Amino acid sequence: MDCKTASDLLPLYFDGELDRATSREFEAHLDECAACRDALVALDSLRTALRSETARYGAPASLRARVEQSAAAPPVARTQRTRTHTRWLAMAASWVLAFVAGGLTLGLWHQGSAGASDAAQLNRDLFASHWRALAATSPIDVVSTDQHTVKPWFAGKVAMAPAVHDFADQGYALMGGRIDYVGSERVPVLVYRHGKHLIDVFVLPEMASSSTRDVVTAQGYVLEAATLGGQRAMIVSDMDRVELTRFRDLLSAQVPEN
Amino acid sequence: MIATSNRTVVDELALRHLDAAYNLGRWLLGSEQDAADAVHDAYLRAARASDTYAGGNARAWWLAIVRNCCLARLSLRNKDKHNVAIDANPAAAERWLPRAEAEEIEERLDDSRRSQRLDVHLRNLPVTYREVLILREIEELSYREIADVLETPIGTVMSRLARGRALLQKALTEDGSMEIPHGL
Repeated sequence: MDCKTASDLLPLYFDGELDRATSREFEAHLDECAACRDALVALDSLRTALRSETARYGAPASLRARVEQSAAAPPVARTQRTRTHTRWLAMAASWVLAFVAGGLTLGLWHQGSAGASDAAQLNRDLFASHWRALAATSPIDVVSTDQHTVKPWFAGKVAMAPAVHDFADQGYALMGGRIDYVGSERVPVLVYRHGKHLIDVFVLPEMASSSTRDVVTAQGYVLEAATLGGQRAMIVSDMDRVELTRFRDLLSAQVPEN
Repeated sequence: MIATSNRTVVDELALRHLDAAYNLGRWLLGSEQDAADAVHDAYLRAARASDTYAGGNARAWWLAIVRNCCLARLSLRNKDKHNVAIDANPAAAERWLPRAEAEEIEERLDDSRRSQRLDVHLRNLPVTYREVLILREIEELSYREIADVLETPIGTVMSRLARGRALLQKALTEDGSMEIPHGL
């Protein structure tokens, strides 16, 4: 492990977010690198200082009493409840409308100048998410090679479950999926494996801005836009270009589901 | 799951993590009264929304509500900024007051500062970095939990944490070097 990689991983190691194998590699580097050891010591002394010198304010008894009192209060009467329910529904409906309208406007607006920097931010989010997934104990929340398990798993967690297909026959095996944030949106991520390469497919909500048709690269990783059953998607991986393009074409060839 | 049982879950959740909620509120808002009010608001909101709680990390869900209530209060307060006590923020005081006055305040603060240096630096950090440091270092949340509280990607959590730590370390070293020179 070189020093550049190690210093990127240092906070992850310090915060206990690295898996065991990577931790061991990192520790091997620590043994021979004084600079990284110092950086780790500095982080640790900051934490010690924060925990000992900074107050952790405990909730005052009066607040606890207030909450307990509210908790003990009888739930709202039945009739009132239904009324608030309808009101909430109406409000929810208006939010949906506002969102759709806003989405349309945003979409138009994004074609303008703001699009460029937003797209750059999106790309950074996607790369960061991919790297972090690689560093984590498991890059997958639901482990399954069965597309009929993965799709329903998403159904309860994101607004629109993506189309899931396994391409094991073509050399791209479905491994599972996870939920991640892109901007402030929760998006489904499909995880595939091709040889030793891990592939993340981020299925993006319509609103997210990305006019990027080009391929973006960062530190040997590649990001490419694709479509997945009619939804927009972004592929992040360290495969080479030819393999990536083949995978993209496989994804895009899938007919939209209903 | 029926609504009432969910409601009990929320009650239990809020009371179990009341200290965490209050601590976050206290650090975001800086005032005991505001923090307590914000946490109470958050409890009411959480109880109302108990039907919609979809599972997942409960503490992060609860702290996310607390944080939103605090930020709402913060933005309300920023509308009439004149009410912020100037002693609450010596760095800002220094920026806005005429030089002599600022120095006087500086001196007065000096004694208390030595013991609460870190406290003061943390308080002067922008909210974005302060909250992430509180959640990670004091409340010991994982990256994923923090991401859920802040509703941001994990990459953002990582970069804010790194930046916050660096800012705090920098402030501390500058402070340290300031104490030496006079005698020499």
